[in-house]
Amino acid sequence: MDKPVVVYEPFRAGLPPMRDYLRTLWGRRTFIAEFSRSELREKNYGTVFGQLWLVLNPLLLSGVYFLLIYVIKGSNDANRFGHLTATLFLFYLIANSLTGGVKAITSGQRLILNTSFPRVMLPISATVIALFKFVPTLIVFAAIHLLIGLPYSWQMFWAIPIFLIALLMGLGMSILISCINVYFRDVSSMLPYLTRSLLYLSPILYEASSVSDEIKSLEIINPLFYLLDSWSRVVVYAQAPTTFGLLHSLIWALTIFIVGTYFFLSRERDFAVRL
Amino acid sequence: MISLSDYNHPHSPHSLAVSVKDLGLTYTTSIDKKPTLKARLRTLGRGKKHTRVVNALSDVNIDVHYGAVLGVIGSNGAGKSSLMRVISGIVPPTKGRVEVYGSVSTLLALGVGFNPAMTGRDNVYLGGLAAGMSREDIDQNFDAIADFSELGEAIDAPMRTYSSGMYARLAFSVAAVVEPDILIIDEALSTGDAKFKEKSLNRIKELRSSDRALILVSHALATIEDVCNEVVWLNKGTLMARGNPSEVIAQYRTFVNARKSASSDEDV
Ligand SMILES: Nc1ncnc2c1ncn2[C@@H]1O[C@H](COP(=O)(O)OP(=O)(O)OP(=O)(O)O)[C@@H](O)[C@H]1O
Ligand SMILES: [Mg+2]
Repeated sequence: MDKPVVVYEPFRAGLPPMRDYLRTLWGRRTFIAEFSRSELREKNYGTVFGQLWLVLNPLLLSGVYFLLIYVIKGSNDANRFGHLTATLFLFYLIANSLTGGVKAITSGQRLILNTSFPRVMLPISATVIALFKFVPTLIVFAAIHLLIGLPYSWQMFWAIPIFLIALLMGLGMSILISCINVYFRDVSSMLPYLTRSLLYLSPILYEASSVSDEIKSLEIINPLFYLLDSWSRVVVYAQAPTTFGLLHSLIWALTIFIVGTYFFLSRERDFAVRL
Repeated sequence: MISLSDYNHPHSPHSLAVSVKDLGLTYTTSIDKKPTLKARLRTLGRGKKHTRVVNALSDVNIDVHYGAVLGVIGSNGAGKSSLMRVISGIVPPTKGRVEVYGSVSTLLALGVGFNPAMTGRDNVYLGGLAAGMSREDIDQNFDAIADFSELGEAIDAPMRTYSSGMYARLAFSVAAVVEPDILIIDEALSTGDAKFKEKSLNRIKELRSSDRALILVSHALATIEDVCNEVVWLNKGTLMARGNPSEVIAQYRTFVNARKSASSDEDV
């Protein structure tokens, strides 16, 4: 008698066979791309004005925050504006990944109940969408950088590893929160407060150097603090990041990614009966 | 919609395609509308249960062999779709074991993965990719899909402008190009107008072959009787009967009529 190709047995929490899983996931990469593209298209980013809005929106946001800083602190030097835009844009990469990820599973009910595919594709596409939205802001920042005459140096290549760490962090958060939201649906309504707090606790509206040492040691528990600080050092001031800053953000990113992926993969077969 | 597992498995006619043993399935739904952290915290330490289980299937045993066309019938909520979900690996069983010997393609609902904001053309790709086809597969089959759907120019219009029949046509056309070892179709035939219905039924008949297993779920008893060579009847999650189509269907009819005199026999 033939050996069964697939066997389905009762669900036990535990990782699926990873090699098969990754192979299937890789085989589905075009679906991830197409799915993300269609989600973007649905929100009208397919039109010229939609794409313009992708650029305009972050620009307006940074304008508003700049005004806020100006009113509160009365300082308006170019560096500060550069710092604000650079960190705000990177922050939005992660925040968009979180807000997209939180409902990735719960709103994909129809897809999940009727098709079998690696469920982790859904939070991954949330991060891909966040990435699509990030790219135009990068171009805007390059223009700002040029306009306000910020310095250039070879150290700016540090931007690449820092960006990759940020992407990993966003992906990890998206995967983790999409999984949590299956079990606790009110997480999605608490998320705006979480991202707001992250925004204010991270060196965006202020610079890391202006924070007192006590607070700085508390900020170790903020995954984004040193990430955004390093980003600002590199892309605004054209300096090398500190080793501590790099390590801190890398360790946080890896931790969130590994914990999130572990929870997600070991529970994903259970999602369909809970939607 | 369809989903094709990427296993390619040689098999001889009449060998086992799907084996379902002592299958039980329960869904976990919460007592409140949704499982929330708030509700969990409130019931913390009081040992109160916050979930309710729905028994969708219990002790189901079915073997499907290659060459068979199995019809699945039963009233609403009998557990037909749930059984199909377990066989296609979407939902893990709560009890028992399911063995599948071949690549499975499932058409559980039409147009899953479609995005109404996109054109029909884009959705052929989106739906096909969701089903596990590769872009090249879809490129190759695109003309066949478009022809089968008979949508003409409308294929380049956004899908939100489609009538529900047009939507179903395109969805079925995408699904119909896949040629898997085991094909599961859940109530996807009763869409479209009479002509398209016949066309899709013919397509199903074409797909019957000795090295393929077909599982059809339908409320259209005449169709089931016409197409299938074996029928199982599910009621409230348990297997009531299986065997010769006309006998099982007759039993099912008497059962339904015994409870409800109104005749709802006519088929669509
Ligand atoms: N996602 C779900 N969550 C909770 N309960 C569910 C879910 N899906 C189905 N059920 C329950 O499982 C039982 C069987 O449902 P199922 O969809 O398998 O029925 P069916 O035989 O396909 O019915 P129909 O003929 O209406 O399609 C029903 O009691 C239903 O309430
Ligand atoms: Mg059903």
